[in-house]
Amino acid sequence: MTAKPLISAKGLSVHFLVGKGVLGRKAVLKAVNDINLDIPKGAFFGLVGESGSGKTTLGRAMLQAAPISEGTITFDDGSGPIDVAGLQKQALKNYRKKAQLIFQDPYAALSPRMTVRDIIAEPLEVMKITRTRAETDMRVREIAAMCRLNVEHLRRFPHAFSGGQRQRISIARALVASPSFLVADESVAALDVSIQADILNLLKSLQKDLGLTFLFISHDLSVVAHTCDHVAVMYLGRLVETAPTRTLFNNPHHPYTRALLSAVPSLDPDDRGKGEKLEGEIPSPIAPPPGCKFHTRCRFVQDRCKREEPALRQMGENHFAACHFAKELVGK
Amino acid sequence: MSAPLIDVQNLNIRFHTDEGLITAVDDVSFHLNPGEILGLVGESGSGKSVTAKALMKLNAANAVIGDKTRLLLNYKDQRIDIAKLKKPKELLIARGGAISMIFQEPMASFAPAITIGAQMVEQLRIHDKSLSNAGAKDISIDMLNRVGISDATKRFEQYAFELSGGMRQRAMIAMALSTQPALLIADEPTTALDVTIQAQVIDLMKDLVRDFGMAIIFITHDLGVIAQTADRVAVMYLGRIVETGTVRDVIRSPQHPYTIGLLNALPKLDDLDAPLTPVPGDIPSPLDRPTGCVFHTRCPQVIAGRCASAVPQLHRIKDEHAAACFATEVEPA
Repeated sequence: MTAKPLISAKGLSVHFLVGKGVLGRKAVLKAVNDINLDIPKGAFFGLVGESGSGKTTLGRAMLQAAPISEGTITFDDGSGPIDVAGLQKQALKNYRKKAQLIFQDPYAALSPRMTVRDIIAEPLEVMKITRTRAETDMRVREIAAMCRLNVEHLRRFPHAFSGGQRQRISIARALVASPSFLVADESVAALDVSIQADILNLLKSLQKDLGLTFLFISHDLSVVAHTCDHVAVMYLGRLVETAPTRTLFNNPHHPYTRALLSAVPSLDPDDRGKGEKLEGEIPSPIAPPPGCKFHTRCRFVQDRCKREEPALRQMGENHFAACHFAKELVGK
Repeated sequence: MSAPLIDVQNLNIRFHTDEGLITAVDDVSFHLNPGEILGLVGESGSGKSVTAKALMKLNAANAVIGDKTRLLLNYKDQRIDIAKLKKPKELLIARGGAISMIFQEPMASFAPAITIGAQMVEQLRIHDKSLSNAGAKDISIDMLNRVGISDATKRFEQYAFELSGGMRQRAMIAMALSTQPALLIADEPTTALDVTIQAQVIDLMKDLVRDFGMAIIFITHDLGVIAQTADRVAVMYLGRIVETGTVRDVIRSPQHPYTIGLLNALPKLDDLDAPLTPVPGDIPSPLDRPTGCVFHTRCPQVIAGRCASAVPQLHRIKDEHAAACFATEVEPA
């Protein structure tokens, strides 16, 4: 990657202990396993994968909202590198001003008992960013206008708003403390199609105007293709492929990426039933298969895949894939 | 031409609420032939689920169905108006007899403390009193096999929570089809599934239509899923059908500004350079239903003085393709 990374993960793992095992031993759920990832400053970085792939956990780890078991996350916006995993108390609070999360469900994320003004102002007050009420009001109005919210709406309660307007309130709240890094976790998944495009366009224009860096987590490949400039694909806690958006969609190398792309229903009624259909389902992350995690569903599987886990290898400029046979499989 | 399996005429549904009567479905008519897949597509509040539920009389007790509404079912030489059925016994034909339904969230459709098998046997025996427990078990295990569930005998004894999401959706399809209904209503059956599992379930449903010859009403907000499954499609907005026709006609040459807007707002994988154009404004609240054409508050082609006062009816464009819009209406010759 050419631009300097804003946030960078090295050997990052997030493990959870779950359930009760035999003799009180708990099972280990490896939600994120040994991930190396650089997000350049100013990028709109997409993270895709199915349920259970670990994409949400990875996003949360970058905000120190998931326990980091191994590895490091370094954040550097130019004022010196920050070791995210080691942050505590005041330093963590300071980091929260720089890195924020936009939630999926705009119906659940907003308190029904607070006015829109109070919802947006809350981070300013909690983080003690503004000193007077007038200053707070000014900042709230400024960010509301940027998110195309009507200033008259600030006195109302969230129940009066539609899904699209609520998501704009949610975005305004995330942006009010002037963060430089935003994790948008399925931020348009709960919205209707006619509204979704509006929110995507808003996120893109905010990114450009404010110079923000986005980690955009989504299960919807078409949305990612249209908004992100770089995409990483996850499967069962591993990064399986990462490339600039065009490269990934025009020339996917990993068999999982290829299957994922061909599973997206085409809008062409004459294009039915084509493409590579994936058999079976994603295995349990508590008992992942040995070797390549994808080998149980891969149609190109070889003996080597069952024993040896492939590392990410370079396929082209900024293009990496974790498959033993990625290069041989192109065109097959 | 033989009579259609389902003939919905002037469906009107309103709900009693604290804020007054709310119109959910307004003068909707469509038909469905045996073996045909009809897609009902629309966003939140379009009335697509309420329409489908009316065919099984599953809407809540505060629903009021219009006087002129006819829900005609032609089934085994009988002609039944579902809208007129009242007694639970009469309703059995619409609830699991001739018509079955599968839902978006399979976990909510199975009782959590009863095995999958017991639930399948119970409903089979409700619809066929002469069936023995053993006979119903055989049919159930056979159906579980048909929908691609491995180890069906073992799954029969399991509970819904022991199955993965995709398996649960398959089990629900097996349960809905075991009574061999003539019509299956599928309400967003793939929305909660991952895209690779969605592709599997879509294939399965198409196979089943071919093998059993039943008709499907496929409800979804996803035009891609419609393009991959349906023969005909009806696009709904705020309780009205705004456009209908074959999938090819509606997706390739959409006529209604709402259908056009929906297609333009959709990110497409085969054209990454196409800008995403949102439909301006928000979907109005059902409490605040626009007069005239329900779409006129967001329509780029709105005709001043006309669209806000008069309600456009569906007019034929070509063959089965019809749209309800003054702006695209061709002057009658």
